[in-house]
Amino acid sequence: MGIVHGDLMTLNIGPQHPSTHGVLRLKVKTDGEIISEVEPYIGYLHRCFEKHCENVTYDQVIPYTDRCDYIASMNNNFGYAVAVEELMKIKVPERVEYIRVIVAELNRIASHLLALGTFGLDVGAFTPFLYMFRDRERILDIFEVLCGARLLYNYIWVGGVSHDFPKEFVKIVYSFLDYFEPKIKEYNEILTYNKIFIERTADVGVMPPEVAISYGVSGPNLRGSGVQWDIRKNETYSIYEKFDFDIPVGSGIMGTVGDCWDRYYVRMQEMPQSAKIIRQALKAIPEGNVHQALPKKIRPPKGFIYKRTESPRGDLAYYIVSDGSPIPFRLKMRSPAFTALSVLGEISQGWMMSDVIAILGSLDIVLGEIDR
Amino acid sequence: MYKYLSNIFEAISTLFTGMGVTWGHMMKIRKENVTLQYPEERWPRPERDIGFNMENYNVIRSRLHVDIDDCIGCLKCERVCPVQCIKINTVKVETKGEDLTDISHTGITSNGTKKALIVSRFDIDMTECCYCNLCVYPCPEECIYMTGGPNSHKQPIDYEFSQYDRNDLIYKFAKDVEDEKMSKYLPQQKQVDE
Repeated sequence: MGIVHGDLMTLNIGPQHPSTHGVLRLKVKTDGEIISEVEPYIGYLHRCFEKHCENVTYDQVIPYTDRCDYIASMNNNFGYAVAVEELMKIKVPERVEYIRVIVAELNRIASHLLALGTFGLDVGAFTPFLYMFRDRERILDIFEVLCGARLLYNYIWVGGVSHDFPKEFVKIVYSFLDYFEPKIKEYNEILTYNKIFIERTADVGVMPPEVAISYGVSGPNLRGSGVQWDIRKNETYSIYEKFDFDIPVGSGIMGTVGDCWDRYYVRMQEMPQSAKIIRQALKAIPEGNVHQALPKKIRPPKGFIYKRTESPRGDLAYYIVSDGSPIPFRLKMRSPAFTALSVLGEISQGWMMSDVIAILGSLDIVLGEIDR
Repeated sequence: MYKYLSNIFEAISTLFTGMGVTWGHMMKIRKENVTLQYPEERWPRPERDIGFNMENYNVIRSRLHVDIDDCIGCLKCERVCPVQCIKINTVKVETKGEDLTDISHTGITSNGTKKALIVSRFDIDMTECCYCNLCVYPCPEECIYMTGGPNSHKQPIDYEFSQYDRNDLIYKFAKDVEDEKMSKYLPQQKQVDE
């Protein structure tokens, strides 16, 4: 029996919808239950980040970068600080580099926990969401001990960090890692290998590597398609070349390479790798003064910089043009979630209505970063 | 047929594995309870022994507070604020470092600095504040800080500071002085000849 084509029906999802992970509106054209076109409408969270940055000094930009990707603020701070330091040619002390790597990787774990938990929630698994939030909460507590804030840290500054680790901090992180690493097995038992979850996600929303590369998708979404690309390894920054870690890629164990399950599983495998980096960093962290390289006045020389770093969502880059004044002349942020959302229309064609929600959840978008 | 049955078996077995995990959690619910009964129980602020002199560093994010007697009106916090939520006006005083009782102005700060300025207005709009803590670091007299944490002996923490009116969230820290008394210290306006 051939496919009967009827009239297309337009359906709106959002802007206020629990499955859109923020304020995102999707205009979906459906042929019965089959999707023929998905068009994302964005901009509901636009806060003029880039224009704002042209009016504040370089150190005042950091609280604004916090608010772009509010799930992984440390990584946003990190990318910005690394970019400005390279523009100013500041060499930061060894201890600062280790501190930054530790907090960034902790935040990567927190971000992936949220991504996986809400993905489970999207396809109907409520319990793993609670378990993952419980463990994410522990990381937020660690950050609260560190810098007083639970979500928007303003911790990594240009040329250093706002203050050193507390006395007992290393012990707290170790105890968290000891607690966290066995939990991966629990998540796998309750969600990853659950047959219902596999049926909902495997073979769904396949993103072939060519499509992913042509759209500029990066991070876990690209690695889920089987492309081994990680800025931490391929274009190393800070001190990531000192650490020994693997880059998990999707291999299509449950279905096709690049399906929703692969993107999910890449994130799940990345968390123990981050824990591995943290353990190595905690072991090797040297003594030193974290305020040593803080510049008195941040005045980069005339020029521009394009620096990219690996945030939990992918290739996060800052393009900064300096005219020699204490205020950036132009600041552009390349957000990985934006490109991940742009591929949604391509990969969700031909799937069912409920699969769009699963595909959107597996892309792990943060609307704060898309709209900026 | 075999695939059909194996699918059913797999679904049931993985379901029971997952149920096993939740059952284990249900049994130790009393021990590992993570829910906080909020109005009765309050969030414990983490201990912040940050290794060096704690009073110099303030690592808590909550409501801003200013010890106005210690403020010298240097405007450093106003300049560093990324959202411009701090508004300060100052008046120059001729008798440096002396108390002015009529407008309850203290001449010398607790650090021993002689004040050359009267702070006539120190407003912080907490609706705009982004809790970035940037204003706390440059203060030479350590008089602006966030409440609670290492400063809880000076100012205990506010867990909730909601108000019915938005204007009530603009905290006015400067001494409430009548305009007549203040006008004595304001710079004299030069009379323009007719």
